[in-house]
Amino acid sequence: MIANLLDGIVLGLQFGLLAGGLTMVYGLGGVLNLAYGQMAVVSAMVVVLSMEAGLGPIPAVVVGLVAGGLLGLLLDLTILRPVYRLHGEARVLLSLLLTLGLAFMVDGFLSWRYPTKALTLRIGGGPVELLGVRMVRGGVVASVITILVLGGLLLFFRKTTLGRAVRSVIEDEEGARLVGVDPQRMLRLILILTGVLAALVAVTRSLVTPVSVTAGFELTVSALIVTVVGGLGSVGGAILAGLILGMISTVAASSIGTVLSLIILLVAAAVTILIRPSGLLGVEE
Amino acid sequence: MLEVRGLTAGYQGGDVIRDVGFHVDEGEAVMIIGSNGAGKTTLFRAVLGLLRPSSGTVEFQQEVITGKQTQRIARLGISFVPAERHLFPRMTVRENLSLGAYPDRPDPDDVQSVFDLFPRLAERRGQRAGTMSGGEQQMLAVGRALMSRPRLLVLDEPTTGLAPKLAAEAYRALGILKQRGLTVLVAEQQVPLALALSDRGYVLENGVIRKEGTSAELTHDPDVRRSYLGVV
Repeated sequence: MIANLLDGIVLGLQFGLLAGGLTMVYGLGGVLNLAYGQMAVVSAMVVVLSMEAGLGPIPAVVVGLVAGGLLGLLLDLTILRPVYRLHGEARVLLSLLLTLGLAFMVDGFLSWRYPTKALTLRIGGGPVELLGVRMVRGGVVASVITILVLGGLLLFFRKTTLGRAVRSVIEDEEGARLVGVDPQRMLRLILILTGVLAALVAVTRSLVTPVSVTAGFELTVSALIVTVVGGLGSVGGAILAGLILGMISTVAASSIGTVLSLIILLVAAAVTILIRPSGLLGVEE
Repeated sequence: MLEVRGLTAGYQGGDVIRDVGFHVDEGEAVMIIGSNGAGKTTLFRAVLGLLRPSSGTVEFQQEVITGKQTQRIARLGISFVPAERHLFPRMTVRENLSLGAYPDRPDPDDVQSVFDLFPRLAERRGQRAGTMSGGEQQMLAVGRALMSRPRLLVLDEPTTGLAPKLAAEAYRALGILKQRGLTVLVAEQQVPLALALSDRGYVLENGVIRKEGTSAELTHDPDVRRSYLGVV
């Protein structure tokens, strides 16, 4: 049981990071990026191809993270352009449709071009002892990296001028413009940042389990569920919901099997939304 | 300093203000008086780039700013305090003030001078803006607007929703700022307070400037006395 819970935390932290990225972009610009999982997978494939080209694992990971950031920038410069001309619900819908289309295209291309590729990173050394439980070293390393990154993000948003400027747009866009913050530039910055985060999730995930070319939609759907449960626009909520759902997911998977665990995950999400429509830490509208 | 010519603007239903012209000189306090729905807010939104005017020009320090983005106009040195304040509700007083200085880091002296002007804010520096009273939020909105050391401070009905004592308090602060040389443009329904602060004023009715004059002239104008000062 404890082993399952610890595994759940490993998974939950990654859920949280992934959902945090999705929720930030939504909170900032009313853009729902359904190609988010594909951004992670493409970055993972960049790491795989870089290693096949002879790069060591760490430089290859760096290349993958840069690729993730570039994908975010590319999204901002290309298919999101028409989205930015719309406002409110229309903007959410168009962003959802365009990124979903992009996701299908990316998925199709990857499964045609690299049908069998998967990113697996291994870390040497035996299991690590934690709370009397033997944990896979890769999982522990993945969690430590994720916690460090989450901590870094927290500091960025709380303490830096730029981080505060990003939050100001989420809280009150007109107020932000009145103090001189350009919401469009903040959104571009966050799209780049979340691209890097997506790549990072793919990399840390691959320390525990292979990330295959077809993992995109699963990642997006997980992120979406966690985002909704956590409360749209709330990064703290995303992390909290990630941890809870991660633990539910692993405990259920080991006790009653993977297929049923997905159902349990969805039921848990649905119940949360019924009780708290704005999500765990979402703001009531 | 600010020169508005022939400004016409509105929403999809039609024009709210028509052919509005006025100017504000350096160091002056100028008021736009008008009743609810006269178009004061629309006028300010058009000046600040929050609403695209259908015709007319706005010049700030000899530079045409019509059609520029609000954030650019803000960085040129115009701070706007809207009637709805648009604070950052989940951020503390301190964080709201810091963002006022964006893109620079806040100067501690500027923070201190805001606290000197509004001691109440100093007591509440760690409190979230959204949990404060209307009067405190108004102080914070003005304080945030001052953090960028603006050349021109524009306020839309700064006394909305404030008790008379707090309204007087707000104008006391504006008086101090004016004395320090800040140029102020204020739209107001509470005309007596605004008259005491201002050098000149304009009367906006149904989207058109009906009258203009010095505060003394407006104080003695029979129409202004009847409509806005409650004198029969």
